Amino acid sequence: MREHIVKADKLKKVYSSASQKIIALKEIDIEIKKGEFVTIMGPSGAGKTTFLNLIGCLDRPTSGKLDILGCDPTKFNEEKLSRIRVEEIGFVFEDFFLISFLNALENVQLPLVFARNYKNNNRPRDLLKRVGLSHRLTHFPNELSGGELQRVAVARALANNPEILLADEPTGNLDTKNAQELFSLFRNLNREEGLTIVVATHNVRLGYSADRVIHLNDGKMEKDERLVK
Amino acid sequence: MKFFILAYKNLKRRKSRSFLTIGGVAVAVAVLVALLGFNAGYQEALTSDVDKMGYQVVVTAKGCPYEAATMILNGEAGLRFIDEDIYNQIISDPDIDKITPLLAQLAYDPGKQGGKGGFTNYLGIEKSYIELKPNVKFKSGGWFSAENANEAILGYEAAESEQKSVGDKISIPDKDITLTIVGIFERTATQEDGAVFLPLKTAQRVFDVEGKLTGIGIKLKQIEKISEFEERLYPIASIQVISMSQVKGTILNLVNSAKILIMSVAFIAIFVAIIGVINTILMSVFERTQEIGIMKAIGASRSDIFKLIWMETLIICTLGGIFGSVIAIFGGNLTELLVRKVMPYAPGGRLLLITPDLLVYSFLGVIIVGIISGLYPAFKAASMRPIEVIRSGE
Repeated sequence: MREHIVKADKLKKVYSSASQKIIALKEIDIEIKKGEFVTIMGPSGAGKTTFLNLIGCLDRPTSGKLDILGCDPTKFNEEKLSRIRVEEIGFVFEDFFLISFLNALENVQLPLVFARNYKNNNRPRDLLKRVGLSHRLTHFPNELSGGELQRVAVARALANNPEILLADEPTGNLDTKNAQELFSLFRNLNREEGLTIVVATHNVRLGYSADRVIHLNDGKMEKDERLVK
Repeated sequence: MKFFILAYKNLKRRKSRSFLTIGGVAVAVAVLVALLGFNAGYQEALTSDVDKMGYQVVVTAKGCPYEAATMILNGEAGLRFIDEDIYNQIISDPDIDKITPLLAQLAYDPGKQGGKGGFTNYLGIEKSYIELKPNVKFKSGGWFSAENANEAILGYEAAESEQKSVGDKISIPDKDITLTIVGIFERTATQEDGAVFLPLKTAQRVFDVEGKLTGIGIKLKQIEKISEFEERLYPIASIQVISMSQVKGTILNLVNSAKILIMSVAFIAIFVAIIGVINTILMSVFERTQEIGIMKAIGASRSDIFKLIWMETLIICTLGGIFGSVIAIFGGNLTELLVRKVMPYAPGGRLLLITPDLLVYSFLGVIIVGIISGLYPAFKAASMRPIEVIRSGE
């Protein structure tokens, strides 16, 4: 059985517009193993989001090799990419990105619709219970607090039982207490269910609560710290 | 939760917009169904009217043949007179199967329609009238007792509206005469249901037009012989021969040209409705750029988004189709009333014939329109890239 979930080899991403070229990632090599809880830290523009988007199959690299769960997404067409996204990857965003006209439960059910998974009906409820929101099932996003919204988003990300959870600045819009709680939720999901988690964050204190911290700066890997706990 | 629910929920959150768009589609469908239904109904009603009339050929005084034909169909008077001699002259024509003399007169009755006033048609007829009209039957009573009797037979509606029955008396306004009702005809669903029938001789006497007729109804042994028959009557300068099938054709032609005009209006309505649907969906797609990006980011594929947006269009068109059909069916009476007001000649019976076939075809039509108009917005939405949305959110 392969050990890694993500393996990037000389991964490069260049954003080009008419006037300029921005090299967001400069040939980085990163390998993330199954069951790891990794945070990616670095200043703005370091390439954190770009990296997450690439391994989340939301974007394609300019060059380099990428291996996600044994697949090479650079060779996939859009239909196949969305297949991987819906089945193997859960995404959590800084701005929550919940669907405003669906309630909490329906938001969590949404990935099941896209996966054509109409049977597994209890999982969304269980997930919301797991994130401590069983009393908020029928509440709409505008009726929930920031911390609650992000927990719904985590539940949604886990709806199809993905192999990997990616979170891009998930605490950016949360207060200290809710940020702390979110990270303990990540910690628990990682410990109890062996979920592989990759979080991009600015928050140094929370960032160091993970097992491994990768420092990016200016599109390059500066440091790769494994924390012994 | 399935795609359908998702599409429905999205439409529901913009209630007034969705509702207005559905309304636009409904109006277009209603107009189309009503027009097509009217077309079928009018043709059928007119054919039945002409067939029920019994005569294939009418001889009248020279004048505009269509005006005369319309008047005859309406059972109206106002026709110019021909001499009774002409009747005696042509009665022996070898091609004639049945023939009947007619005298139609109109009188204003201030007491009609509960005091509102209105015209009553008086028709002077002979016994041969009934022989020519297979569907004219007595509901009660019977034929006049004498050729010159002061008696009347009422058409079904005339009896109904005046609350008269056999044995009652009626008078003709401004004429010094009282008529005893001896019979009432059954409903024929033609204009003559509203007429008052008198013995020909009595009518001639009462209206002071002795020896005169307004028309002669004729049934030929073979309708194919009509041109020969017409030719034989040609020397009689004061009359003209009108073939009812010709009249029917002419009225239908007139109606058809009006129909083409109305149809183009209907198609414009449909076109506007399509543009409305495309506009609504496209607008909601652009408004939802971020939402669609999110859906894609959490795993929706191109085809998922396409399906979702397309389904919204279909829901709008389906609901529009349903409401439109309902409006057409229940608003049909209103349309009919309107049509009767503006048409030069409106036959009896229902003008609007909305068949299940017609509804099914209109419905299929609107679904196809929905499928087509949903393509572009759905394609537009499906082509959105999730990454741009995520980035714009930063």
